[in-house]
Amino acid sequence: MLDRELKKGSAELIILSIVEPRARHGYEISKLIETRSAGQLKFHVASLYPLLYRLEERGWLQGRWVEKPGQRRRRFYSLTAEGRRVLGRQRHTWKTFVEAMRLITGVDNA
Amino acid sequence: MPEWSEHLRPRLARLRLSPEREAEIIEELSQHLDQRYDELRSGGTSDAEAHRLAIEELLEPEALANYMRPLRQAAAPRPITPGAPSGFLFRGLWQDLRYAARMLRKQPGFAVAAVLTLALGIGANSAIFALVEATLLRPLPFPDPERLVMVWERTEASPRGRVAPLNLVDWNNRNRTFDLIAGFAPNVGGMVMSGADGTAETVTRQWVTAGFFDALGVGAVAGRTFLPSEDIQQARAVVLSEAFWRARFDADPSVVGTDIRLDGSPWTVVGVVPNEAQVLGRTSIWALLSIQGAPPAARSAYVFEAIGRLKRGVTIEAGQADMAAIAEGLAQEFPQTNKGSDVALEPLHDAVIGGELRRTSILFLGVVGFVLLICCANVANLLLTRATVRARELAIRFALGADRRRVIRQLLAESVLLAMIGGALGLAVGAVIVKVAPAVIPEGLLPAAVTLTFDLHVVSFCTAAALLVGLLFGLAPAWQASEIALTHALTSDSRTTTRRGGRLRSVLVAGEVATAVLLLFGAGLLLRTLLAVESVDRGYRAESVLTMILDPLGSRYRTDASELQFYQAVEHEVAALPGVRGVAWASTLPLGRSYQGPSFFEIVGDPPAAESQRPTADYQIISPSYFRTLDLPIVAGRGFDGGDLPESPQVCIVSEAFVRGYLQGRSPLGLRVAVRPTEFADATPDVREIVGVARQVKGRPDETEDLVQIYVPLAQNTPGDIFMVVRPASGRAEALARSVRAAIARVDKEQLVSVRDVMTLDEVAWGATARHRFRAVLVMAFAGLALVLAMVGMFGMLAYSVQQRVREFGVRRALGATTRDVLRLVAASAMHVIAAGAIVGLALSMVLGRLLATMLFGVEPLDPTTFACVALVLALTAIVSIAGPAWRATRVDPAVALRSE
Repeated sequence: MLDRELKKGSAELIILSIVEPRARHGYEISKLIETRSAGQLKFHVASLYPLLYRLEERGWLQGRWVEKPGQRRRRFYSLTAEGRRVLGRQRHTWKTFVEAMRLITGVDNA
Repeated sequence: MPEWSEHLRPRLARLRLSPEREAEIIEELSQHLDQRYDELRSGGTSDAEAHRLAIEELLEPEALANYMRPLRQAAAPRPITPGAPSGFLFRGLWQDLRYAARMLRKQPGFAVAAVLTLALGIGANSAIFALVEATLLRPLPFPDPERLVMVWERTEASPRGRVAPLNLVDWNNRNRTFDLIAGFAPNVGGMVMSGADGTAETVTRQWVTAGFFDALGVGAVAGRTFLPSEDIQQARAVVLSEAFWRARFDADPSVVGTDIRLDGSPWTVVGVVPNEAQVLGRTSIWALLSIQGAPPAARSAYVFEAIGRLKRGVTIEAGQADMAAIAEGLAQEFPQTNKGSDVALEPLHDAVIGGELRRTSILFLGVVGFVLLICCANVANLLLTRATVRARELAIRFALGADRRRVIRQLLAESVLLAMIGGALGLAVGAVIVKVAPAVIPEGLLPAAVTLTFDLHVVSFCTAAALLVGLLFGLAPAWQASEIALTHALTSDSRTTTRRGGRLRSVLVAGEVATAVLLLFGAGLLLRTLLAVESVDRGYRAESVLTMILDPLGSRYRTDASELQFYQAVEHEVAALPGVRGVAWASTLPLGRSYQGPSFFEIVGDPPAAESQRPTADYQIISPSYFRTLDLPIVAGRGFDGGDLPESPQVCIVSEAFVRGYLQGRSPLGLRVAVRPTEFADATPDVREIVGVARQVKGRPDETEDLVQIYVPLAQNTPGDIFMVVRPASGRAEALARSVRAAIARVDKEQLVSVRDVMTLDEVAWGATARHRFRAVLVMAFAGLALVLAMVGMFGMLAYSVQQRVREFGVRRALGATTRDVLRLVAASAMHVIAAGAIVGLALSMVLGRLLATMLFGVEPLDPTTFACVALVLALTAIVSIAGPAWRATRVDPAVALRSE
């Protein structure tokens, strides 16, 4: 089971956790990934958006166009209830492996 | 603002999106690029440069453009050249061979019989030799492979335990006997590699410490392997396997030094290593795992398997002593984690090949060796017979001045020629067997590192075997023939020559019988083992059960709750089918592979076991109807029911072995168990109350110790894929497969669920006993072959002796011997030989039984039933082989026999 979960990768986990506190748009998400990882992690347009759409199709994220007066409308992504559960589950699965890794390295590099 | 859509539209075209969706995506991505463009310009970049940089995000380097290129097959099998070059030293020998060929052509029946017998024997031997060569003889593909060892943490609970990283660091720092000790973490899944175009694929990955390749002695094909400094810097570095590099990067050397994206992070490719490095597990990528400066807690993270390279000239015993002392020191320094923990070294070759495979290879080699001996004996017998017949011809040659050595050489040339032809054919037989074998050998018997090849070694073995066999079975007949011819040249008919040749033939046939008995006995023991594992009490009583894996992949089933709902809906639908008696879910099938391996547990309230001795159980997730469906009795307490929900108290059911092994007489009901739902020792445990005890179920058919099992209700831990088990009201479970699939499709209307591995529990059990069956069937086949050959030998010997004694029988009949007397006479001479062979064979069998002990299950090495059966089979076949010649002896007409004088 662990193998199967791991194959789904950690990129999803990162995105889900970034939109966990509040809805964010794509550019913001890409910037946040970069900032939080001190520049080590970089998602480009070509890799970020397909992933966002995939997560949306699965129902883990919900994208909404938001219009503000005087600005162009923007698409904001928020975590759905399902997404929240998946995040919890994925975190748990990862933790089991990552914990071992963290014990080793002191950083989260799994 | 620049117009981005002209760049975006062509890239999206192949996705064939609806126009609205495409417009939305273009709008969204344009905004992103706008923002990036603005940001770059405000940072001082020129308009044109900002435009270029922003667009670049869409066109990342083409590192992965080739990734769909079809995989190339590695190593193509080498062509096989039947026969072997033969350099003859003497011209006379060449002459002899030509003469021999003429002689054989004159007697095609004899030649064909002899060549086929030899081809079978040599063919079987060369095929088995290919197996032995791959498993026992071929060294690992590393420099000085004998210096490589596996280094295990040994505790009482596990003699070959994984290694914690800090211990690995200390071992490296403190030892005096190793060049290097390195770790690797096998089977931790893959990484997602994302391409420039947004595509992603999963690549297999193995975590290794920096010294891994240096310890193995594997150098890079391109770039380099990991450096110790990278360990300290905690660098994100990977090494690619050569196969992966060729398939995905088209063997482009410039990929070294670049970054590839794995799980969203950039990892630097530092090098490419040859495929040999995959002996320790197939993988596309090796990722560096830094262990220097790991925090103290890492002393209990048992993630690594470790390999060590002993210093030149250091024996494994010396290494063992050195490591034991270090382990003792560590146990004193860190009693919390290292108490009771020792170090065990094992030659890497042994660890890779495994004891079972080694034993099986040796067994087969022994078996086919004996078969070859029997083949030789039979051909020798044929030659002996011919030698007597040819005594007159040889006598003439002596009379004409031939010297004895010359005659022997000539006869030997004949047998060597036979052996060479037989050997060439045997080579072909062997090549066919090796080619077919992979389809027949049970999965998992041969580790990844072992590939059967019919290479130069096998061909040389075959040639050597043929030559040896030619000399071996030719020498005695040749010697004897020349002797007969010399002493009796032209003086008499063949009558006087039978005695001596007859004795030698008797010894040969007795030897054949002994060998056949030995093989029959071995086959009998292995067959009894197979029967024992097949008839083992599996624990459940349902006769016919259908199983399949359901794996909901799609977006509809994305949480535990929705998955559980789906499982329940399917259960409901399938249960309503006509002819279905029960439906249930299970993460592990009886006699099937364990779902997640051993899980650590402890009983709440008991003093904690030392970290190295924590008990483990097989963690199985089941639905409430599981026990009922399989007819598996609950022996105490209750089964799961609809009340065991995610929110209700966490419960579990344990197996009888759990109660026997860990409760010391206490009642299990009401006790609480902390069990870790993954194989990692440091996972957070779930605390569950034991509500029932289930009857013991076999984990493996040949397990000698019952597997401890802990069952958890599906509602309280819903896995992403699971086995469904369906029991029919009557009849065969396979018959339900169609209607069950249809029922699943009715629930899963969008076809988002993968249904696979449809089989019955009997098939699962069949798979679990495959190894035993393979061994038993193969040895039985050889034993049967040996028996037939021995009886052919016996038949030949008797038929010949009856022919030689026609006159004697005629005289006896004339003097009043009855048919019965003649029968007894013939049978008695045969029985002496058979009895002698059988006694020797049975005596050898007692030794063999002991040697086989480790492969046996449910049968004693000196099993009397097997002895009795072998004796019976031997007696029956003996009667068949004696009957013909004996009948012929009784038909001798005294008048005809005497007149021929």
